[in-house]
Amino acid sequence: MGLLDYYRQFEDIDPEEARRELRERRVREKNLALQEVPDMDLSGTEWPEFPNSEVVNASIYTARGRVNGYPDRDAQRIRRVLAENHGVAPEQIVLGNGAAELLQATAYALLGAGDELLTPWPSYPLYPLMAARAGATPVAVESSQEELRAAMTERTRLLALCNPNDPTGSYLLAEEVAALASSLPEEAHLLVDEALVHFQDAEPPDSVLRLVDAYPRLMVVRTFSKIYGLSGLRAGYAVGSTASTALLDRIAPVLGVNALTQAAVDQALKIGGGEVQRRREAVIRERSRLLDSLRELPVDVADSQANFLWMRAHGMSGSELANRLRERGVLVAPGAPLGEEDHIRATVRDEPSSRRMLKALGQVLG
Amino acid sequence: MFIGRRPGTAPVRMREVPVRSPGRRQRLDRMLAYALLAIELVMCLSLFGPQPLLWFWVGSQVQYLTGFVTAGIGTIMLGTLASLMLTMAAAKHVDEIWKLVRRAGGHKQEAGALERIFAISVGVAVVAFTVWFLVIEGPGPSLGPRN
Repeated sequence: MGLLDYYRQFEDIDPEEARRELRERRVREKNLALQEVPDMDLSGTEWPEFPNSEVVNASIYTARGRVNGYPDRDAQRIRRVLAENHGVAPEQIVLGNGAAELLQATAYALLGAGDELLTPWPSYPLYPLMAARAGATPVAVESSQEELRAAMTERTRLLALCNPNDPTGSYLLAEEVAALASSLPEEAHLLVDEALVHFQDAEPPDSVLRLVDAYPRLMVVRTFSKIYGLSGLRAGYAVGSTASTALLDRIAPVLGVNALTQAAVDQALKIGGGEVQRRREAVIRERSRLLDSLRELPVDVADSQANFLWMRAHGMSGSELANRLRERGVLVAPGAPLGEEDHIRATVRDEPSSRRMLKALGQVLG
Repeated sequence: MFIGRRPGTAPVRMREVPVRSPGRRQRLDRMLAYALLAIELVMCLSLFGPQPLLWFWVGSQVQYLTGFVTAGIGTIMLGTLASLMLTMAAAKHVDEIWKLVRRAGGHKQEAGALERIFAISVGVAVVAFTVWFLVIEGPGPSLGPRN
């Protein structure tokens, strides 16, 4: 090493040169990050976006207030708003910690050992579980109305109907639900789970709910987990007839729903109309477009009134199809846990998501 | 108040870890660094006496040869300014070398010393001028007449 070289090795990097090196490194890292496309999860049915910030702020504001006190156990304010929205009396509504809790509470209230819970199948997997928890027997039948009627016995105490149905996306019109309610055995109740009702475009969203006054043993359950995007806060409500207020009292949470959730739900109801409508229209539009595109591929896909599609590919099990899609970065729900092994359930989201799923499906099936 | 590092306080970043020579070379480098520092000091001090004096002499010669006072004054002004800038550029270069030699001598030298050297030389020049002006030449004789 020469004399000058010896001293040059002590030179520091010029700050501008150092900044340029850092900038170049950031660009390289950014390019790498863009190359690594994260998996797209279409396996869940909850709303994929964050809730409106005003809804979250309402909850946070409450959390900074008097949370040392109990919340309004009867959620009177929310029930009053919901009652106005649905054209029923506040006494006909009960707010719970999610629709699932209300469904389970109803099962506990109505079912006992030896009783049967009847449900179309495939359907929401919670129904057989809640019957078993209540000591009753779940009876799953094909989802035609005739078979449901034929399966009703004197031991049937509860008919649980997911409408639109998860995972098939099928929808029973209000008149069909009314027909089922009319044919219920003496002591049976009809429980209609309308968690996904905002995504159907077959009739106005409240069509089934308006039947509660005509059918005292009909109860409708709704949730804030889907189109309202508040799954993590756990809120849902049940609507029954004026004759079923005793049952509603029995399924209500003992000390009500927590104050943070009540604040968020209250705010969501205040501002939610336009947002719910926008989400509903977006899903309906994208669902129609996706269905048309899927019918050009070698898959059987059913019409859907929900925010997902239920489909199968010939010669391939649902889990195999789901695994192959997963390898291409698209996560869907395999059908086996949902009731049909050869199907998958894929959520409808937006156009880029649909394009990506169609591309992955095309690669798997092509 | 500050998020991250304040401007100008970044640590020295070298391209690679330098290979230092053994202790004797480092001692030599430390002495060389002092010598370079002395050169910097002399260069800075020269701005406040020798260089202006030199340009006064050159200016007087120009005035004598051309017969114009303006030519003499212009030469002094421009010459002083030019030599000031050239001297500072050269001093800056010496300062860079001083920094490297200090690092070679084993010091963690992050910044140069030219600013401080310049400030010191200004101080020395002011004191020297004051002594010369008040005691040796300027109003000194009237304050304390020789006769």
